[in-house]
Amino acid sequence: MVAMMHNPLRPTPPLRLVDAPPEPSSTAPEAIIRVENLSIVFDVPRGEVIAVDRVSLAVMPGEFVSLVGPSGCGKSTLLNAMAGLERPFEGEVIVAGKPMLAPRPDIGMVFQQPHLFPWKSVRRNIAHGPRALGKSKTEALRIADDLIEMIGLTKFASAYPHTLSGGMQQRVAIARALANQPRELLMDEPFGALDAQTRAVMQDNLLELRDRINATIVFVTHDIDEAILLSDRVLIMSAGPGRILRDLSVGLPRPRSSAILTDPAYLALKRDCLDLIRTEGRKAFEQMEAVT
Amino acid sequence: MSTGGHKGATAAGRLSVLVGALSVPAFVGLWELIARSRIVNAVLFPPPSTVAVAVLDWIQSGQFFGDLSASLFRVTVGFLIGTAGGIMLGVLTGRFRLVSSLLSPLFHILRPIPPIAFVPIVILWFGLSETGKLFLVVWGVFFTVWLATHIGVQKVDRGLVRAALMLGTPRRQMLSEIILLGALPYIVVGLRTAVSISFYTLVAAELAGAFAGIVYRIEIAQQNMQTGQVMGGLAALGLLSFVADRSFAAIAERAVWWR
Repeated sequence: MVAMMHNPLRPTPPLRLVDAPPEPSSTAPEAIIRVENLSIVFDVPRGEVIAVDRVSLAVMPGEFVSLVGPSGCGKSTLLNAMAGLERPFEGEVIVAGKPMLAPRPDIGMVFQQPHLFPWKSVRRNIAHGPRALGKSKTEALRIADDLIEMIGLTKFASAYPHTLSGGMQQRVAIARALANQPRELLMDEPFGALDAQTRAVMQDNLLELRDRINATIVFVTHDIDEAILLSDRVLIMSAGPGRILRDLSVGLPRPRSSAILTDPAYLALKRDCLDLIRTEGRKAFEQMEAVT
Repeated sequence: MSTGGHKGATAAGRLSVLVGALSVPAFVGLWELIARSRIVNAVLFPPPSTVAVAVLDWIQSGQFFGDLSASLFRVTVGFLIGTAGGIMLGVLTGRFRLVSSLLSPLFHILRPIPPIAFVPIVILWFGLSETGKLFLVVWGVFFTVWLATHIGVQKVDRGLVRAALMLGTPRRQMLSEIILLGALPYIVVGLRTAVSISFYTLVAAELAGAFAGIVYRIEIAQQNMQTGQVMGGLAALGLLSFVADRSFAAIAERAVWWR
């Protein structure tokens, strides 16, 4: 809709005599995902709602970044914009050098609900992406079988989704997103609908998986523990309209496991996050009360 | 009723099976008795034995299979054409707002008119040809299937569509797989309704004038005061639509194969 306007405050790049690979951004030279001054506005019956308000952020290749914030803060909308499912009102999202205007198969997405195709077996669900991209049936099924082994569901390869538990379905959804070998994986509260025990197992699985798939991951959650456990960086968002409040680096060593949940460094970080979120949550609550 | 190990329940279950098996014979027997007892006029209410003889004559004369195939042809072909059109346009109006704005108001006006009401104009348009009969059946089937498909398409889980989009599903596959199969449970319900509608419209089409067909035979028999033949025709029609409905139910159960 609105093209990115030239920012007069940004220094112009120096002249070069030799052709060099174009720099994606002067502030974050190697960022793979760049969100610049992004606003997203929704039409509602009583006017318009600003879901995302002038957000800028950058994600480096291979980084695991979490977006945390109170519900309704626009974190899912922001993620959808990175997926090309939501059009910017202002500003833009650039992934791997190209602006996001529609979904792209090099970007994978896992939703809060598995959204598996109910008419397809586990194997065919995972093979869907490669098939859609024109791979041969044999090739697609081979990719699917490898992923099924990785998520440990070999016994259920020909089962239909409704026969699987919620956790298993979500594992299939993750495998399906990985089948196109995305360079960026977007996850929208993927474990939010699971019970606490399953969620803990899934988090450990994701940590293991991450080392094998070599993708950049952006992860939306409202669970601080989950965000810190998994991420290199945690971005804390304000109550709606969504803005990024704090950008916290998680300096905890990897490989991690749920054992870090009692580490003093972890606890200090968590306290910081909780303070921020509590203040924001209160603001959101007061805003809601002021409206009604 | 439960079929557990409880003795009383099993006995009650057996009794209800027995009563169920006797239901039709008991009715036929009662009818035979009443018709023969001269409480009613046996010319207007022929006993089942007379009906059976009439049906036998019908079969032996060779007309029965001609009538059966004429009626089956109209119902089957009309159902298939109406279904194909209904599904196709239902996917388009359900998925594309512009197509819906163009066609839905028109369809919503035409849909509630009982197809039978079109008999007079159909005779003017097509005379007594097969085309006119097919037209009536197609007309009745089309709107039912269209509406079921239209609603089904709109109720397809948006999450499935988004997931398919993220996986790079091409446009055509999105319509032919994700949308169509997503709407299939609704479409199947519409199709089953359309089976009985195709029989309703068949009756209207054959009454309007035909040269063969089960309902046509009923009408001819009525004009000749052959009440046994009339009832035989009715029984044949009832049996035919019963079989059609049951076989469709069996097919429908397998159509949504992932359940």
